[in-house]
Amino acid sequence: MKRMFYYMERDFRRWIRGRVNVVSTLILPAAWLIFVGLALPIRFTDNYLDFIAPGILVLTMLGASLQGGGLLMFDKILGYLPKFLAMPAPRESILFGKILFITLRGLIQTTVILVIAILLGAHFLDPVLLLAIYTVLFVFGLLLSSLMTTVALKLEDHDSYSAINAMVSMPLFFTSSALMPYEEMPGWLAALARLNPVSYAIDAIRDLQAGVFPAVTLLGLLVGAVLILLVSVAVFRRATV
Amino acid sequence: MDLAIDREIFGLLGPNGSGKTTTVKMLTTLLAPTEGDATICGYSVTKNPLAVREQISYVPQDMAVDPKLTGRENVVFFAKVYGVPHPREAADEALAMLDLAPRADDLVRTYSGGMRRRLELAQALVHDPEVLFLDEPTIGLDVAGRRRIWEHIIALKNRGMTVFVTTHYMDEADRACDRVGIIDRGRVVATDTPAALKATVCRDIISIQTDGTFPGELPEGVTPLGRTGDELRFEADKGEEAGLALSGALTKAGMTVRSISVRQPTLDDVFLALVGEPEEAEGFDARRFRRMLRRRG
Repeated sequence: MKRMFYYMERDFRRWIRGRVNVVSTLILPAAWLIFVGLALPIRFTDNYLDFIAPGILVLTMLGASLQGGGLLMFDKILGYLPKFLAMPAPRESILFGKILFITLRGLIQTTVILVIAILLGAHFLDPVLLLAIYTVLFVFGLLLSSLMTTVALKLEDHDSYSAINAMVSMPLFFTSSALMPYEEMPGWLAALARLNPVSYAIDAIRDLQAGVFPAVTLLGLLVGAVLILLVSVAVFRRATV
Repeated sequence: MDLAIDREIFGLLGPNGSGKTTTVKMLTTLLAPTEGDATICGYSVTKNPLAVREQISYVPQDMAVDPKLTGRENVVFFAKVYGVPHPREAADEALAMLDLAPRADDLVRTYSGGMRRRLELAQALVHDPEVLFLDEPTIGLDVAGRRRIWEHIIALKNRGMTVFVTTHYMDEADRACDRVGIIDRGRVVATDTPAALKATVCRDIISIQTDGTFPGELPEGVTPLGRTGDELRFEADKGEEAGLALSGALTKAGMTVRSISVRQPTLDDVFLALVGEPEEAEGFDARRFRRMLRRRG
């Protein structure tokens, strides 16, 4: 178990020395927050920023996870992964290390977005609320980073990974409850949005904002995360290169 | 394929696409064999892969060291993942053994190809494996770099390690390996010491530049091969000795010997005799080629 921290430490060192991508992943969510959150003329609420901020937090985590899956793809292409797989350390510690790194990095990035949102006037300052939001985002990150890391393990090259990435990211975001409440959506979109795991995470945060404990959505996310983790561990144990 | 390898340097030679890397991947538990089995230090690669991984280190072809980390960080990371008791000390020792200590705290980005290779060896040695698998350890290195890698490999064998190496540099295998196996289309066509393999192909060839015709008796064990212009060619078991004897005999017969050259068969000859000059065994793998280009860039 200790070994997943060594794998995570390696990725953190590499990330911090990368410099450019430390900032680049923050641009898109910050742009959403400012150009959409502040500018869009919306009738269903008078504080659209408060409404859209949970969606942007989850979007940040989504982007971090999708981009994070690519890390394993690079480990594979560049020849690190075969070495790791030939080592006696349990292979799932490679997976857990990646999940931890991607999720923690995602939380660091969401923190920056959270600070920007608060500076812009969103209401998030309650410490208990913040802690609960981080928990939701952590579970969501677990689910998606585990999924994407395993997808990367199974895919042949980086081109196919970026293709999957592009195919998944925007549709997941737009078919979620990020931009408008279910009541404002056309029926077909609402049906899609209620199935989307991204909506689960967003709805959980909105419930928390409203002072409700989101038992059902959080449980749904947890069950999903555990299922995907189990499958991922099995796939990693049998990995060949 | 049926081999037993113990505390020696074993070289697996073969043309591109003959199954060298696949063999190594099966032995390092990265691929499951479709049939058959292998045991490493008494553990089966199919039934007990975890125990096998405890005993081995694997250095693949593609120089995979983290350029954004320092040499020391690269090795300490491996030591920790291997679960070595004192990772920092073990890393220092491995770095010193491969003469990397002075540059240990520089980023690997600034290392030369030869240094990166040695760093990979340091990573592989940090947990003191019983068996070391090296896939093309000298590919892409300059002459000095190659020699240095082989010196390290031989030093490891002398410390009691078993080294399994694949290469297609025949001269290097000839000099360093205790035994070599030649593989072609997934089958081992020969295994022996380089000297014994060379002896099976042909004997030494002696060429002598001279004039006139030779009337006398040839020394024992020398067979004439033919004549091209002024050049006489002979075949013998020990070319250098036979060459001297021949030149003596020719001079005694009143001929002028202008030059003698002895050519001993190399592993190249063995290789070509056994494998032939095959057309590309498999289709050109465009993806692999692109990946290679990307790595160079």
